[in-house]
Amino acid sequence: MKSKKGEWTLGALAVCLGCLVLFPLFYGLMGAFKSPAEFVAWPPTVLPRSFGYLKNFETVFTQLPMLRYFWNTLVVSVFSTVIKLAIALLAAYAFVYFDFAGKKALFFLLLGTMMLPPDTLTITNYQTVSHLGLLDTYLGIGIVSFVGASQMFMLRQHFLSSPKPIREAAQMDGCGDVRFIAFILTPMSMPLLLTLFLQAFVIQWNAYLWPLLVTNTNEMRTVQIGITMLTTLEGTNYETVLAGAAVALIPAVLLFLFLRKAITRTMSGGAIVG
Amino acid sequence: MSRTIAPRRRFSVKPYLFLLPMLVFAVGFVYYPFLKTCLQSVSTVNFRGEITGFAGFDNFAYLFSRREFSIALENTVKLMAINVPITVVITLGLAWLCSRPHPLHSVYETMFSLPMVVSMASISLIFKVLLNPSVGWLNYALGLDIGWYEDRHTAMSGILLLTIWMGIGFNFLLFLSAFRSLPPDMLGSAALDGAGKFRTLIRIQLPLISPTVLYVVCTNMIQAMMTNGPILILTQGGPSRSTTTLIYLMYTSGYASSNYSLAAAVSMAAFALTLLFSLLLFGMEKRKVHYQ
Repeated sequence: MKSKKGEWTLGALAVCLGCLVLFPLFYGLMGAFKSPAEFVAWPPTVLPRSFGYLKNFETVFTQLPMLRYFWNTLVVSVFSTVIKLAIALLAAYAFVYFDFAGKKALFFLLLGTMMLPPDTLTITNYQTVSHLGLLDTYLGIGIVSFVGASQMFMLRQHFLSSPKPIREAAQMDGCGDVRFIAFILTPMSMPLLLTLFLQAFVIQWNAYLWPLLVTNTNEMRTVQIGITMLTTLEGTNYETVLAGAAVALIPAVLLFLFLRKAITRTMSGGAIVG
Repeated sequence: MSRTIAPRRRFSVKPYLFLLPMLVFAVGFVYYPFLKTCLQSVSTVNFRGEITGFAGFDNFAYLFSRREFSIALENTVKLMAINVPITVVITLGLAWLCSRPHPLHSVYETMFSLPMVVSMASISLIFKVLLNPSVGWLNYALGLDIGWYEDRHTAMSGILLLTIWMGIGFNFLLFLSAFRSLPPDMLGSAALDGAGKFRTLIRIQLPLISPTVLYVVCTNMIQAMMTNGPILILTQGGPSRSTTTLIYLMYTSGYASSNYSLAAAVSMAAFALTLLFSLLLFGMEKRKVHYQ
């Protein structure tokens, strides 16, 4: 950057573009505070007259069991992400610390799961989950996301770069595999595990199509499905829909604002895995 | 894969036990459904999803003869052809703008990457209102008179606006970290040689980050190919099929009408297209992409 002036022009331009990118979110949030009369008034505005009108948010929580939806989504997102990481960690451990027949083939078999887009598999997976009697259960919603090939790959890279003698020393002290994983490897990989957890959590929190397919009863829906139901429910309108969208957004956005560095840390790694 | 920290030992069942959970789910929920889809696409299947006989290529012949399919294929390819280049140009531009250190960098980096955590359902609903011809703000602000999702000529443009927005966050971050990983002294020496900023970008930076560009193009093509959620929420494939994509067609024929063999045939077609485009890109990679 040559001059102070050039630097500030660049900064101002970037912030303006940033506002442009975020405008739809701002518009949605502001619209959620409007009354029905205000919403249909011409000309349309972005800002509400005041922030005192909270009836839309009230409607979101009274027309739908929204708290229940939040609970469902939280339970599914936490347990499926934890299982996904645990499974990936075990697999990465096997690939790094053992030599065995078929290692290369199995490694590529697992990485190959990334080549098959999950959307093309939904119909047949639905049949499987239905046969297993898992429709309308938390396990049914989470089970298709247990395989995390990219997580496995990143954990493997991490273990490979960690000091080699640790495991030998632990083994000499009589520390078995399970204890080594639980008390040495996992704590040692905490920062990476946290990053991978946050990324996978947000993706699961935002999932739409699969939870829509495998839940039939009203109580088992997730937040993302709940808010789209607002468009067809009686007694709801545009402003209620916006309030619903805002409510569903808030957890993931807050998480991102506070933990952006942690959430985005391994992004470039993903590009290298391909 | 020969990299390992363990010395070679005699046969042990242990590593297989550690791999078992991941293998079970990879086979059960990725490879098994894939093979079943392949099989169903060449079979007759009843409404319970059970295979009742061999159909050869009948399902495909039936599928290809339907107008719905050619419309869906055309829409999907159109979506890909417009979405991917625009996404790449926008996110590459934003990342280039942010690649230099700046006192405000964490502010605008947060702004550009935030869309990656916004759920598809939320942003679709917001666009539904923002682009609404009677109460939405966009038409009013830009002085337009466009029906967007309610008009078959403009519904796809509305979907494109939305999907391009959704792709900003993640791709921006990928390009940003690619720019940041370039050695700074090289750019300095380019500047000393009198190369302008754009010249440096085109002649030096872009060739160096071409692996990331290829990755972004590839993943976005697959993602565009799989576009379904916004269509389910906003247009249900309409008006008059103008936004029916392949995956939406698969969803409606498989889930809504229980025609599993047809759904399997559509998903095989989508899969084959994805594979074709990836192979084409990787063929290009061999000749064009520069690895450091």
